[in-house]
Amino acid sequence: MRRPFEVILAVSAGLILAFLLLPILALFLRIPPGDLLSQLTSEVAVDALLVSVKTSLIAHAVVLLLGTPTAYLIATRRFRGRSLVLTLIELPLVLPPAVAGIALFAAFGRAGLLGETLHAAGISIPFTQTAVVFAIIFVSSPFYIRLGIAAFEALDPALIDASRTLGAGPRRTFFRVALPLAAGGLSAASALAFARGLGEFGATIMFAGSLQGVTQTLPLAIYAQLDLDFDIALALGAFLVVVSVAVLLTVKLLPSWTRFTLISLAPSGRSD
Amino acid sequence: MRRALLAFALVALAGCGGAAGGGDTNDHATVFAASSLTEVFPQIDPAATYNFAGSDDLATQITEGAPADVFAAASTKYPHQLYDEGLIDKPEVFATNRLVLIVPKDNPAGIQSVDDLRNPDVKLVIGAEGVPIGDYTRTVLENMGATDVLDQVVSEEDDVKGVVGKVSLGEADAGFVYVTDVKPVEDKVTAIELPAEAQAKVQYEIAVVKDAPHHDAAHQFVEQVLSEDGQAKLQAAGFGPR
Repeated sequence: MRRPFEVILAVSAGLILAFLLLPILALFLRIPPGDLLSQLTSEVAVDALLVSVKTSLIAHAVVLLLGTPTAYLIATRRFRGRSLVLTLIELPLVLPPAVAGIALFAAFGRAGLLGETLHAAGISIPFTQTAVVFAIIFVSSPFYIRLGIAAFEALDPALIDASRTLGAGPRRTFFRVALPLAAGGLSAASALAFARGLGEFGATIMFAGSLQGVTQTLPLAIYAQLDLDFDIALALGAFLVVVSVAVLLTVKLLPSWTRFTLISLAPSGRSD
Repeated sequence: MRRALLAFALVALAGCGGAAGGGDTNDHATVFAASSLTEVFPQIDPAATYNFAGSDDLATQITEGAPADVFAAASTKYPHQLYDEGLIDKPEVFATNRLVLIVPKDNPAGIQSVDDLRNPDVKLVIGAEGVPIGDYTRTVLENMGATDVLDQVVSEEDDVKGVVGKVSLGEADAGFVYVTDVKPVEDKVTAIELPAEAQAKVQYEIAVVKDAPHHDAAHQFVEQVLSEDGQAKLQAAGFGPR
């Protein structure tokens, strides 16, 4: 009776694994690796890469800068409406990207809620790289904040308490205790949010449009090249797979870094 | 437990089979049609299943084996390409169209003609290269000696509805679309006619897909589009005679 059960487990796992990996493998097998690489140096691919790197980095800097304190606040403070704030932050996570795109228009578009105010200030956001950055922040910051909250919540409250009773103020406690201790979890959150932002498609194509060298990010270039030059689309797809694998590996390797941080911090006061 | 699992797997598999086969039980054609036909085709045959997108996207989908019965494109380029590859029957011209320039009703950039598009503040949206509307737009601008207005392009859309959407939303100042796209949004946009001599030759072609799952329904659909009634509906929607 036990054997057949093991077989069912193994067959199920085998089937789903094959289903998940076959398309990704096929991406690399459809054209020779040499062609794949040479397609990546095409003008469209290079332009898309530059646009993606620039907008993703700017967006990610904003996400880290504003998201980390936000995550810390929600993780360590109990206040009225906390669960509401938490739910609101989670909303963009489950929102369809097309809704995000139309919502950004409704808020920051020319005919949008802030349209006239922005226009009076001489600012126009749709169809610019700022629009791409907005779209990325909108979809990736909830990701970072949600995982960041988990990272801060996983900290032993006794360590925070100890820091406070030993005379460190809240700011010092945040920078010297909480942040270093949560570094592993925050880095994992950061890597996953970055990957999510790099792959942003729906909100970007609506709110920022698609123009080579300006707003055409890697995923948008794949879409645009699908019917023009399938090989470039394949090459860009394969490239994003490699980036995703790198992100995942980073995340998997992080727990050991965390341990390292913990150990190096353990004899407090000595390491710095 | 094992029985339950097996039963579950069988039901799941049977469900898939049923779903896959389900599409074949009805006799309606699955029509892959250019975005610009979105309004008029359902008037000609409300029962057919439609997939509206850029003709280039549709061609890619058919090449990749999508179960289409009929391919109706906003150009002759992709039908001929698929015909040469043996994927569809010989295509036939069933309608013509012409381009217009559209601006939002309140016309924030004050555009009256193609010349006004040269203003550096203008946000122009056009179809991407390879998409029929994108290629026709470039032809028209070349015919008018006005390719420099391409500097004002802020977005290259993947089909004509993308252009219409961004202009009717008021986010873009102007866009080139087919005259037939204007009617559904006429309360939101104003159309500016282009000189007749600058027009591109916009021909729509239709053909039955070789491996059409609903072969008979596909032929009926094409006949209906080419019929007097179908032609009348196309012309009522603003298309030119074939």
